[in-house]
Amino acid sequence: MRRIFIDPSKCDGCKSCSLACMQAHRETPGTIYDLDLTDPKNQSRNFIKSDGKGGYIPLFCRHCDDPGCANACMSGALTKDLSDGLVKYDRSKCAACYMCVMNCKFGIPQPDTTLHYMVKCDFCEGISDTPSCVKACPTGAIYVKEV
Amino acid sequence: MSSCSVCSGCVSSKTCASADKPLEAFIRELPLETSHHRVDSQSTKCGFGLQGVCCRLCANGPCRITPKSPRGICGADADTIVARNFLRAVACGSGCYIHVVENTALNLKNTALAKGNIRSEEALNRLAEVLGITGTDKYDLAVKVADAVLADLYKPDYVQMELIEKLAYSPRLKAWKELGIVPGGSKSEVFAGVVKCSTNLNSDPMDMLVHCLKLGISTGVYGLMLTNLLNDILLGEPEIRFAPVGLNVIDPDYINVMITGHQHSMFTYIQDRLTDPDVVEKAKAAGAKGFKLVGCTCVGQDLQLRGAHYTEIFPGHAGNNYTSEAILATGAIDGVLSEFNCTLPGIEPICDALMIKQICIDDVAKKKNAELIPFNFETRVEDGEKIIDELIAAYKERRGKVELRLLPEHGNKNTLTGVSEISLKKFLGDSWKPLIDLIVSGKIKGVAGVVGCSSVAYGHDTLTVALTKELIKRDIIVLSAGCSSGGIENCGLMVPEAAELAGPGLKEVCKSLGIPPVLNFGPCLAIGRLEMVATELAKEIGIDIPQLPLVLSAAQWLEEQALADGAFGLTLGLPLHLGVPPFITGSPLVTKVLTEDMKNITGGQVIVDADAVSAADKLEAIIEEKRRGLNI
Amino acid sequence: MTKYVIIGAGAAGVMAADRLRVMDEGGEITVISVDEHVHSRCMLHKYLGHERTVEEINFVPEDFFEKRDIRWVKGEKITAIRPQEKQVDLECGAFLPYDKLLIATGAGYFIPPIPGFREGKNVYGFRDFSDAKALDEAVKGKKKVFIVGSGLVGLDAASALCHQGYEVTIAEMAGRVMPLQTDDYAASVYQRAFEEAGCTFYLGIGVTGSKLDEEGNLTHVVLSDGSEIPCDVVMVAAGVRPQIGFLEGSGIAVGRGVEVNEYLQTSDPDIYAAGDVTGLSGVWPDAFDQGKTAAMNMAGVPVAYEKPYPFKNTSNFFGISMLSLGKLDPIPEGAQVETVMDRGTYKKAILVDGKLQGLLIQGDISNTGIYLELIKNQVDVGALGKSVFDLSYADFYHMNPRTGAFSYTEE
Repeated sequence: MRRIFIDPSKCDGCKSCSLACMQAHRETPGTIYDLDLTDPKNQSRNFIKSDGKGGYIPLFCRHCDDPGCANACMSGALTKDLSDGLVKYDRSKCAACYMCVMNCKFGIPQPDTTLHYMVKCDFCEGISDTPSCVKACPTGAIYVKEV
Repeated sequence: MSSCSVCSGCVSSKTCASADKPLEAFIRELPLETSHHRVDSQSTKCGFGLQGVCCRLCANGPCRITPKSPRGICGADADTIVARNFLRAVACGSGCYIHVVENTALNLKNTALAKGNIRSEEALNRLAEVLGITGTDKYDLAVKVADAVLADLYKPDYVQMELIEKLAYSPRLKAWKELGIVPGGSKSEVFAGVVKCSTNLNSDPMDMLVHCLKLGISTGVYGLMLTNLLNDILLGEPEIRFAPVGLNVIDPDYINVMITGHQHSMFTYIQDRLTDPDVVEKAKAAGAKGFKLVGCTCVGQDLQLRGAHYTEIFPGHAGNNYTSEAILATGAIDGVLSEFNCTLPGIEPICDALMIKQICIDDVAKKKNAELIPFNFETRVEDGEKIIDELIAAYKERRGKVELRLLPEHGNKNTLTGVSEISLKKFLGDSWKPLIDLIVSGKIKGVAGVVGCSSVAYGHDTLTVALTKELIKRDIIVLSAGCSSGGIENCGLMVPEAAELAGPGLKEVCKSLGIPPVLNFGPCLAIGRLEMVATELAKEIGIDIPQLPLVLSAAQWLEEQALADGAFGLTLGLPLHLGVPPFITGSPLVTKVLTEDMKNITGGQVIVDADAVSAADKLEAIIEEKRRGLNI
Repeated sequence: MTKYVIIGAGAAGVMAADRLRVMDEGGEITVISVDEHVHSRCMLHKYLGHERTVEEINFVPEDFFEKRDIRWVKGEKITAIRPQEKQVDLECGAFLPYDKLLIATGAGYFIPPIPGFREGKNVYGFRDFSDAKALDEAVKGKKKVFIVGSGLVGLDAASALCHQGYEVTIAEMAGRVMPLQTDDYAASVYQRAFEEAGCTFYLGIGVTGSKLDEEGNLTHVVLSDGSEIPCDVVMVAAGVRPQIGFLEGSGIAVGRGVEVNEYLQTSDPDIYAAGDVTGLSGVWPDAFDQGKTAAMNMAGVPVAYEKPYPFKNTSNFFGISMLSLGKLDPIPEGAQVETVMDRGTYKKAILVDGKLQGLLIQGDISNTGIYLELIKNQVDVGALGKSVFDLSYADFYHMNPRTGAFSYTEE
């Protein structure tokens, strides 16, 4: 099973990963030039946080073995797929109750800005073989490893 | 790189693609690092930067726009941030060209005051007549013309420049006046632009875009058009002829000096002096046959354009901005004389490694490793001797120690050059009618100015050359100016044989006239000449410029000057194609104004398309639409 | 082959069945439920609001039981448990033997002893699908719906009904809406949103009586201030009680709910209980977790159930989402209260000695998952030197270099 690993010491805070995530999940096709950076629908699923000491900590969904988000999901939208280890999300099932937001102790899931569903990393399933964020990282601060 | 330059059996490295395949192969095998090598390591672009929504105008920044942070700390939104960054770029670009025209006017004035060589009285009289200036003799006239230009440049921004009334095409001038975009003094407009986009000043994207248009007119009419006309007086007028281009122009038997920049008038003295018998003797004493100025970047195109007057000292144009490193890497260049952009910082380590003397004659473009000998009209003789001695010393020091990597088969020997608004009309039989007739008949569907720079991030000249090929295939004649010319000519599209690549109508025209389907007007400054051709055609037909089946493409625009040129193109009401957006797409408003609304403001529009075929489709469609508008 | 019987097909029952199958591939698993449909009770308002069908509020795939080879006996009630015989009796007269039994019957709504309420024909609860279905049918063609209680359940139903144009009146004993999850400010925001959607509130007022017509329907609800509010249908959302009636006489120890030890085992070692029926917590993730933990223990893998932190909830009404943790009032003596309005998001934290006691975020609740962890484990956030609202997981970051998993402490 593949996981995105993180080496915060290599993160420059450039947010290329966030933009790549936004670009990968945009609704209408296009280039990075016409990705609407102010459209709330294009929110990123990963976050770069300042560590307050001049460094950055990239926060990415872990697709946990015991996923708090899926454990809290009362609609069946979030499920742990044991075949590939990913925590999958079926938007059509989601009731937007946001128990997942509350129950992820790492603070990764977010409501979408229209409050009709939630957004979380999908490992770019069906979009790209390697997660788009990893492909975009110029420093190697995030990388995919088999676990 | 130091370790690289000593290795002998270097494996080929990862470099960017070039439309110029022999050049691409040459660069790939070089034991030196060039821009082409660095493209790969810079391939991850910052998306915020690309969209123009990174703001670092104050210590609160850099601020970046995201869905969760739609405003910078100060409150500036994407529209304001983009417009500020864009205006800043256009103002800088305009400043560059205004610097060039200012120096050119000063050089003309100083030359005239010293009763120096005025190479074209015809050009002087022509311009003086247009401007309504008379003088007692050619020197007096030249001084007055130069003074009139300088007086306009130095006006405050609240005083409208005067010569524009005489130089601009009247329907355009009328439109500009209605829009309130006729500029005040050029330098002051740059100043005002720079002030506007400073921290917490202007936040109105429309006001800033309007300012860009003002700067565009100032840049176009003064920086471009007048620089050409003043240079023609001082340096001689372009004459249509065939000349060599490419790395083959480099003859290792000479002391070779690569020239880079945009200010041909600064070389007037030295280029004449280098062929004086005593200087040639000095060179011979050092073991060379004499001196040659090897053309590179736009000032090289200027010499190429006026090459008929300089056959002895100027062997031809070797290549554009992103060919400069390769030119130096031949090892046969002994010195670099630079006065402006596009003198890449990347040549510095190459000059170091190959013991090439760098001399800079204008401090605005001072290179780190170069010796600064600022061009000063009063001390030009002593300074000239010093430069000559330094070049000879460099030649003696380096030759024999530095390996030569010549590429004598690169480029060609019969590229058409010397095209200007005057020489082209002369060529057509002193009338524009033959060209208009060809356009009306449809043999030539339209005209495309493929202008501007060359870039490497997405391939060296790849889009420029591919687009040019697409356009000529569609019977659209291409006029080029700028570093785009350097790429197009080295790829062989400016030799008469290139007619074979044109569509049937254009091919027939080219063959009957013995000309290529792409006509080279020279440096980017010659975009001003394209404007003059457009004006002449429009005047002849009796229409305004936006009605012409004429499009512009700065397919591989590189720098801020190109954006100022582009702003000029928009004020002319012309469609302007760009390969990559000018860092504006983060703002829906700025993008919409430039790509759509501008059609209803000046008649112009920006078209962004990185694909040669679809870009050509769009430009062809516009040309066809304009043809329909003229009922042809 | 072990025979597992699970009573109830709610969050705890279904999760337990799922986990049992993972733990014991060959075991015989039977789920018995009154419910004809597996459904998420937290989504009943979506059914009531006609946003989803009953199939669409199923929280497991349609073929869930089939795929796991689990027998599901639906629409069947358990009448008694006989621990000595290790059997359960079904209403239809049949009985079922078990080796391990799980009681996951949840809780049912409770009608308070207000005159007329228990006998009134048009008084409904809103706890499971049959309640929602009955209520949905009852309101058809009617206009005025009176809701007793403005907790999450009451407001869920209110929002579903007012969206459809019913005139909804809500009475709340406390002085504000959602009293357990809000403070006065956050409550006022929600109250305004409901009022703009057409709801009327009576706050700080009790329901003391009713007026019935000849057919036994309530025509008016009488409030403690004497006012009489006309109504067509009444819905009561005044709390729940564990469904434990059938345990009478079984000998299984019950208190408020079924009593369990840390392994979720009842007083009978082969009988376990999970979910709302235990009264440990009334929140979905805890029911889920209990179902899972009980299943592990039933399958012979002793797993202690981590005490739940039940004071947690999220809500999402009229485009306003809210996260509510801990106790928001009364504010303990000496507590430090931080309140900010951060670009439209209201945030309030109650800290004692640097430890979170209560937290309320109304507006943008993105990335707020850390707070449950901080409040549950009473992490000293005061020592971190920044506002509690500026914290993120980055402040506690640890990644297992081998698995890539995050954790709060170095592993």
